Amino acid sequence: MATQTISPKRTLDERFLARQRWARAGWVYGTMLALAVLFIGPFYVAFLGSLKDNPLEYPFRYTFPQIMPHNWAEAWRLGELGAGNPWLGGFKPGAQVPFEVSYFVPEGTEPVSPSVTVPTRRAGAGIGAVLEEVQASQYAKVSPVAEAGRSPAVLDGQQGQIVRYRFTITYPGTGPTAPRLPLDVEAPLSQRFYSATLDPNRLERRGRVASWDSATPGFFGYTFRNYVRVFNEARNPNTGQSLFLRWIFNSFVVSLSAVLINLVFASLAGYALARMYLPGKNLIFGAIILLLAVPAQVTFISNYLVLRDLNLLGMIWGLVIWIGIDMARVFLMKQFFENIPREIEEAALIDGANPLVTFFRVILPMATPALGALTILTFQGVWNEFFKAQVVLAAQQDSYTLPLGLSFFRNAYGQVGDWGLMLASAFLSMIPVVILFVVFQRYFVEGVSTSALKG
Amino acid sequence: MKRWVVIGVLLSVLGGALAQTTVRLAGFGGDNTAVVSNLLKEVVNPALEKEGIKAVYEGIEGDYNASLLNALSAGTAADLFYVDVNVSEPIFASGKVEPLDKYFSKADIAPFISSLVQSFTIGGKLYGIPKDFNTLAVVYNKDLFDEAKVPYPNQTDTWDTFKAKLTKVQSALKDVAGLCVVADYARFGEFAYAAGWKPINAQGKTMLDANFKRAFTWYTSLVKDRAAKFAPDLGEGWTGGCLGAEKSAVAIEGAWIGGFLRDKAPNMNYGSTYIPLDPQTKKRGNFIFTVSWSLNAASKNKDAAIKVLKALTSPEAQNWVLNRGLALPSRKALSTSAVFQRPGKENELNRVVFNGSTQMGGVVLPYKFGKYNAADWQRPFNEAMQAVITGKKTVDQAIADAQNELNRLMK
Repeated sequence: MATQTISPKRTLDERFLARQRWARAGWVYGTMLALAVLFIGPFYVAFLGSLKDNPLEYPFRYTFPQIMPHNWAEAWRLGELGAGNPWLGGFKPGAQVPFEVSYFVPEGTEPVSPSVTVPTRRAGAGIGAVLEEVQASQYAKVSPVAEAGRSPAVLDGQQGQIVRYRFTITYPGTGPTAPRLPLDVEAPLSQRFYSATLDPNRLERRGRVASWDSATPGFFGYTFRNYVRVFNEARNPNTGQSLFLRWIFNSFVVSLSAVLINLVFASLAGYALARMYLPGKNLIFGAIILLLAVPAQVTFISNYLVLRDLNLLGMIWGLVIWIGIDMARVFLMKQFFENIPREIEEAALIDGANPLVTFFRVILPMATPALGALTILTFQGVWNEFFKAQVVLAAQQDSYTLPLGLSFFRNAYGQVGDWGLMLASAFLSMIPVVILFVVFQRYFVEGVSTSALKG
Repeated sequence: MKRWVVIGVLLSVLGGALAQTTVRLAGFGGDNTAVVSNLLKEVVNPALEKEGIKAVYEGIEGDYNASLLNALSAGTAADLFYVDVNVSEPIFASGKVEPLDKYFSKADIAPFISSLVQSFTIGGKLYGIPKDFNTLAVVYNKDLFDEAKVPYPNQTDTWDTFKAKLTKVQSALKDVAGLCVVADYARFGEFAYAAGWKPINAQGKTMLDANFKRAFTWYTSLVKDRAAKFAPDLGEGWTGGCLGAEKSAVAIEGAWIGGFLRDKAPNMNYGSTYIPLDPQTKKRGNFIFTVSWSLNAASKNKDAAIKVLKALTSPEAQNWVLNRGLALPSRKALSTSAVFQRPGKENELNRVVFNGSTQMGGVVLPYKFGKYNAADWQRPFNEAMQAVITGKKTVDQAIADAQNELNRLMK
């Protein structure tokens, strides 16, 4: 029998394993990337939409005037020229705003200077329609339009030339500062709008009119126009205060009070139920579990009537009382305290600590993960609470929390298709929850890794 | 004894402070809150100050009709509140709304447009004073008609001549539809009214008769005959959206489109005219969309509330609203208001919409459907329109199916 020599297949095996490792990493990273795109994608698109003049435009464009750096620079410069305010722009006495537009004129057509007007613009819908605004049209003077140069060009395969025009808008004399300087530039249909100092907000009448909401917008006024409107347009008609700021304040008051009440009550009650000697303790705990099982709809009407009789309808304290104490949180804390070994408390007892000291000095510091989770869950839940807020705070604009405020915006603007403002306000209302998650997320991790049983 | 004296003194001091009667008003949220609060601040409250009455508005976000029903049954409803005409009959029938006949004489009511007053009269009793209203008009983009070299729509147009104009515009300008059609009863119904069809007949039933079929056939043929495109195919949800984006040459909407175009296309050169005539009956039809101020039957301050109601619907208050272009007044006399006569595209639109409620509007019916819920009642119609426009059903089949569904609803 002849001996057969076989070469070891080690190298092949290693290559196979390496490939398998890479494949596994590829799957893991691929899945994570896909998830990230899935979750962040809609936010990204909605954020872009909130910057646009028309968030509903279809097909969706990813490049549009508001995100072009050259427009940021120009908006900044024009805001400075118009009102000395590069952030929010405006138009104040003494302003001198030079502006340039260019048109593509096809071969064989004689260029015609466009006509420039500063129109009177009132908001057509939403709350802006009720506000009286200082109109720049009453004070602005437009210099004659002068041709600034021509250069031959080919546009979409068509021979022709690009003609540049210049004009200056001035605010002679004295008067009030206008919040914006609307501008319309109209040229014959044969000339095609090509470019301008600042990209226009819209082209109208089949491209005949280039129209700007403000020719001196400032950086925020151009890029974050909808965000500026969120704060400016919704005002209390009696006091003139910005409602959105008020709603943010209310939301914080309600959420922080609810978090505080929950932290104190849920941890105290949870500890008492888990550890203290209390006659009928199990009965109380049973009642809590029973309450958890009762759907909120059942207690809804009785809660409402109680709040009505306490005269708390329409006040944020009514809302705080209703959502402040949550049985599910008591349950959560009780379960957590039960996992802490008794030996720790016994050690504290031997050291001479009374139950209060034991609770505050020994148990609570160990409970930070649970308290962190409690904070996040409560804050986020209350921050987003819509139904109960609507029932309690109905019709009291000054007491609204943000979710109700968003609904207010939807009524005022969504119905007329002005979704930019809605998207902007929704984004602003999301920021605190995102910050909270970033700050408190390590408690989630700790909740998994630290186990009191190890001690 | 001493304690009782102290309490008595305290109560009388409180009473002095509370001599001012507060009348609560409730209505839609959003911009309505801003409009009514400003109206109260500038017109109504100054007028009622010496009588010690103060009106406060509460705008309700979300589903107003549901909130109103809740508030009426919980006893927390405001003294005066909006009632949208399309839910008016069930709400008035509930007995929670006070009839106004004993507070308003015939002479008090006469200045209001009669079709509006009729909208809120049930069983001979008046349950609300119309706050403002809207009807439908044909709004057209003059530039597009000029470019296509087609004459503008006008008030002598019939369905056929109107359709012919739209067809010409759509074929001349390849990228623009004549009209963008929506499968929505609230934009179609007026044509059926013009044809002589009654939404709810004398027996309280809805029967889709030959007149209905004629209007339905015409409306659903617009897309097939290249006079219009289906709005969802253009990525829009309403005819105004198409007009504003220059995707269509014509829209059929109410005065609300004026505010929308002011924001969306402030330079658009548009005109407005009446809904076209049925070529057979030589009539036109229209809807009345309106909201009333109604009085809570359980209100504790009825007399004060009536004074507020009168101030809210006074010529001064309606002029204030009209001058700001916020809504159309419900008083006949204001049809001669200088605001309507001013030149300008928005004033023309408002004039046409205002006149849509009068003789000029033809067969004008309020946007309500007896005791039926507006959404439930309209669904079979909207589904039938959608099915025919998208070619899924024939006209006969769609009407038969809709009739079956309506019969089920009305059982």
